[in-house]
Amino acid sequence: MLARLAAKRLLEIRQVFRQSPQASRSFSTALNYHIDSPDNNPDLPWEFSEGNKAKVKEILSHYPSNYKQSAVIPLLDLAQQQHGGWLPVSAMNAVAKVIDVAPIRVYEVSTFYSMFNRSKVGKYHLLVCGTTPCMIRGSREIEDALLKHLGVKRNEVTKDGLFSVGEMECMGCCVNAPMITVADYSNGSEGYTYNYYEDVTPKRVVEIVEMLRRGEKLPPGTQNPHRIKCGPEGGNTTLLSEPKPPSCRDLDAC
Amino acid sequence: MGLGLLASRAMRPLRNSHSSVFLRTIVSKPELQSAESSAAAQAPPEPDLPPRTPVGGARIHFPNPEDAIEVFVDGYPVKIPKGMTVLQACEVAGVDIPRFCYHSRLSIAGNCRMCLVEVEKSPKPVASCAMPALPGMKIKTDTPVAKKAREGVMEFLLMNHPLDCPICDQGGECDLQDQSMAFGSDRGRFTEMKRSVVDKNLGPLVKTVMTRCIQCTRCVRFATEVAGVQDLGMLGRGSGEEIGTYVEKLMTSELSGNVIDICPVGALTSKPFAFKARNWELKGTETIDVTDAVGSNIRIDSRGPEVMRIVPRLNEDINEEWISDKTRFCYDGLKRQRLNDPMIRDADGRFKAVTWRDALAVVAEVALQAKPEEIVGIAGRLSDAESMMALKDLLNRMGSNNVWCEGTGTQPSADLRSGYIMNTTISGLEKADVFLLIGTQPRVEAAMVNARIRKTVRANNAKVAYIGPATDFNYDHQHLGTGPETLTELAEGRHPFCSAISNAKNPVIIVGAGLFEREDKDAIFATVEAIAKKHNVIRPDWNGLNVLLLNAAQAAALDLGLVPESTNSIESAKFVYLMGADDVNLDKLPNDAFVVYQGHHGDRGVYRANIILPASAFSEKEGTYVNTEGCTQQTLPAVPTVGDARDDWKIIRALSEVAGLTLPYDSVGGIRTRIRTVAPNLLNVDEREPATFGPSVKPEVTGKMDTTPFKSAVENFYMTDSITRASKIMAQCSAMLLKK
Amino acid sequence: MAMKSALKAIRERGLGTFFRELKEEGFLRALLDGNLMSLSLLLQTKLHNRGATLVGVDKFGNKYYEKLEGTQFGRHRWVEYAEKSRYNASQVPAEWHGWLHFITDHTGDELLMLKPKRYGVEHKENLSGEGEEYIYHSKGHALNPWQRDWSRYQPWQPTKTE
Repeated sequence: MLARLAAKRLLEIRQVFRQSPQASRSFSTALNYHIDSPDNNPDLPWEFSEGNKAKVKEILSHYPSNYKQSAVIPLLDLAQQQHGGWLPVSAMNAVAKVIDVAPIRVYEVSTFYSMFNRSKVGKYHLLVCGTTPCMIRGSREIEDALLKHLGVKRNEVTKDGLFSVGEMECMGCCVNAPMITVADYSNGSEGYTYNYYEDVTPKRVVEIVEMLRRGEKLPPGTQNPHRIKCGPEGGNTTLLSEPKPPSCRDLDAC
Repeated sequence: MGLGLLASRAMRPLRNSHSSVFLRTIVSKPELQSAESSAAAQAPPEPDLPPRTPVGGARIHFPNPEDAIEVFVDGYPVKIPKGMTVLQACEVAGVDIPRFCYHSRLSIAGNCRMCLVEVEKSPKPVASCAMPALPGMKIKTDTPVAKKAREGVMEFLLMNHPLDCPICDQGGECDLQDQSMAFGSDRGRFTEMKRSVVDKNLGPLVKTVMTRCIQCTRCVRFATEVAGVQDLGMLGRGSGEEIGTYVEKLMTSELSGNVIDICPVGALTSKPFAFKARNWELKGTETIDVTDAVGSNIRIDSRGPEVMRIVPRLNEDINEEWISDKTRFCYDGLKRQRLNDPMIRDADGRFKAVTWRDALAVVAEVALQAKPEEIVGIAGRLSDAESMMALKDLLNRMGSNNVWCEGTGTQPSADLRSGYIMNTTISGLEKADVFLLIGTQPRVEAAMVNARIRKTVRANNAKVAYIGPATDFNYDHQHLGTGPETLTELAEGRHPFCSAISNAKNPVIIVGAGLFEREDKDAIFATVEAIAKKHNVIRPDWNGLNVLLLNAAQAAALDLGLVPESTNSIESAKFVYLMGADDVNLDKLPNDAFVVYQGHHGDRGVYRANIILPASAFSEKEGTYVNTEGCTQQTLPAVPTVGDARDDWKIIRALSEVAGLTLPYDSVGGIRTRIRTVAPNLLNVDEREPATFGPSVKPEVTGKMDTTPFKSAVENFYMTDSITRASKIMAQCSAMLLKK
Repeated sequence: MAMKSALKAIRERGLGTFFRELKEEGFLRALLDGNLMSLSLLLQTKLHNRGATLVGVDKFGNKYYEKLEGTQFGRHRWVEYAEKSRYNASQVPAEWHGWLHFITDHTGDELLMLKPKRYGVEHKENLSGEGEEYIYHSKGHALNPWQRDWSRYQPWQPTKTE
């Protein structure tokens, strides 16, 4: 009896050690430190495009001149849109120069937020919501369907450079779970869109991918034809009349 | 017991009215009948704690007495100035709050949460390091709430901390070890895998084991605020958070070693000291540093005959609690290239070890044959006051007055003490609002003074202007020019920066001691004094005219009056006594001159020497040094000296006896009595003696300034003297960190 | 006593066997030494071993005997040293020590199986009094010819003279 328990425990211990060494689940697309590569190193020149320079000026005008560093997040976002969805080191250095801080202060911000991609992503970056409501409604299957259809692993770019799939935490549309986000970097920062596709099914996401591949526009929001926005399927079932004012307060009196 | 206690509590009012005599018999518990248990039951409601003293001698300074507020720490009232944090209030009250991220010299981060205390009427425990104390606040530091909060925080911190204390260099002096013993639980509930983090390469001095990091961000704040190199940062988030530089970058600061001290765990440790010793094996000797003129207070940790490491000692007036990398890591130079036997160069130019008796006899014979005006003595940059006194006395007895200390130039003026010391004092620099640096690069010449200037620049937005060759500063500065013509412009009021100096409340002018070497130094100093006079730099309540010295021996040498009689004595010298002088230019020395090198390292000086007398280094002797602000300090021997080496002054005393000119002292006490007659300030240890007279009593100077631009006085921060030049670590640093 | 048991042994096993055993066990060597003391001790050991079971022999040749009947408890295990003239207790290796001193009932051969192969040190007898060259000196000992250099500094070498 004891021996069997011990053997079982040993098996458990082995299984624990067999798991991947990464103890924490990282949502970020890259490591927390930079490794030089031909398409991502500090020596590559990087500058905001002419059109974006005006935008930079506009963004900076939102903040007091002695708090220029507050603009770091919008500027990084702009740089990411301009650079096809990801931030090379030289882009971060350029942002640091614009807001007049040490580069490490910008690195700190861009490593903190998982929406800043520090490694290459596809032109259409698909983010699957992985939080509990979506997970219960089948986000795992959706991700699997996407990965299988595109033939990639998570955070990997397809060979044609069009798609990549990532995971994201709660997008705040749990009523229409499960859902994916499509960040569209195909048209630079001018044509950049960031749309939610809700109520998706494994079949529907593959359709969405194919439509994106063909360049078709498709309406964002719920993909369930029987729903309007986040209303219930088949029309309202409650709140059919005008809502009554609350009985506890006489609103006219105030 | 519980029931008995309750019963006795219930009885207390009765007992206080002296009617408890028969009531007590009701209690059936026998232990309550004994005298001591009833005394315990009668204990006063307030715990009987010993009177409290502030933690670590914390001093309270009240800027405005009316701003004092009163708070209660564990029931004890304390008066503190407004704006102090709860943690500081507790320290004043004598309660040491556990902390990791809080450091009194850095900004407050409040991210370790170890300093949680309970505050009355606060729904949750508050982080005391970030919470300002408010009037009447009732702080409780030892309640179950506070204890549980600390225990919980400690459990979280230990979740991802590896259990490698036995192989960790911080083991034994680790804040996390100590505090988990004092405040932590004996078990944790975390059963998952611990995380691991990639180690970073921060250069040849700091070793990183990033898995041990607890993300207190002290190093990030130190690098940003004190060292002024914005290289370190906090990357990632959540459990993936780590300290790093993101891009591969070495920490190129002259203060980087201090992150080893402030790291509360073993994440940042000393690379040269790694796996060399345990801190409980080390014997600490509180002494001072001689690698620059600041005289940083250090503790030499030694094991047996070996210096294992050097760590800073707190001195608010000089080095606060930081030291430069040169001070901290030069110690391996003390173990290399040492001179351990007297040696004589024989006819074919080879050195041969001889006995002290023979060596001294040869030196005495040659010295007595030389004419008095052909005798020259030069003290080195690491010499202590006692040996310089003995050298001067010996040479004076031989009839020569050509004694000086290297680095003071050909014509040093020791007449006015204000002309060669830092009159503002190092801590006084914090009151300044404009700095004018003339021919000095404090970052390489005196890193601790530079840290003070940087602190002032950050705190008061002080302006810094610099005249000299282009160099890098770690604070904002204006580069006014490179040479004397800018000085002329300033003196004549033509320069735009003049308005900044004259509008300043407390302007500071710092002149580098590298200018002593210039031929036109009197004219330069006259111009600087003219600038000072014009812009009211010297006032009765403020003396802003400073000289930043380069070497530890300089101030004491000038105090003792080590000034050469003639400027070109070296060209006609027949007998040269080098007491550790390595950087003196001996090119013009006649070939038949006899050179005695007395020192501790086989450095530049020995190659021209005819005879070598081994002496002890600063870590091996008791010596008096005066730092650049005129503060007298003493070194203490930490380790025994090597081989047959002897203290400098003892060698000279022995030589004087062999030469038949016996010096009238044979103990350190005796030599100090002699020093008292020359420079009594050298005996007031750890006291700063201000200069009595300002430059106003100086005679008129007629010379003109040369137009050659100023040169930098220190080429390589890491290698300035014989100890640092012998050090392998310093050689590594200059190879890796100084390459442009 | 010794004589009596010797006679008993001769009577039991015959004179020839008795002397052959004595010869094998180094009796003759002891005889040549002329050391009558060791001769008598050897004889005594031989006689004492009668009826005892040989439990094991260690790698030095020491024999370990046990006899449960007819002995006083606590004297029922003993060793016969391989070295007949200059024997001492430190010749018993560690694995047999426990068995011999009733610390354990596991014999040395059994305990040897637990000995770590990589870093288990070979047993060495205590050679005190045998001469300085036999004695183990620690690495810092003044008598150790391979004494470690304890000087903690490198002297300057006057090689580069000009």
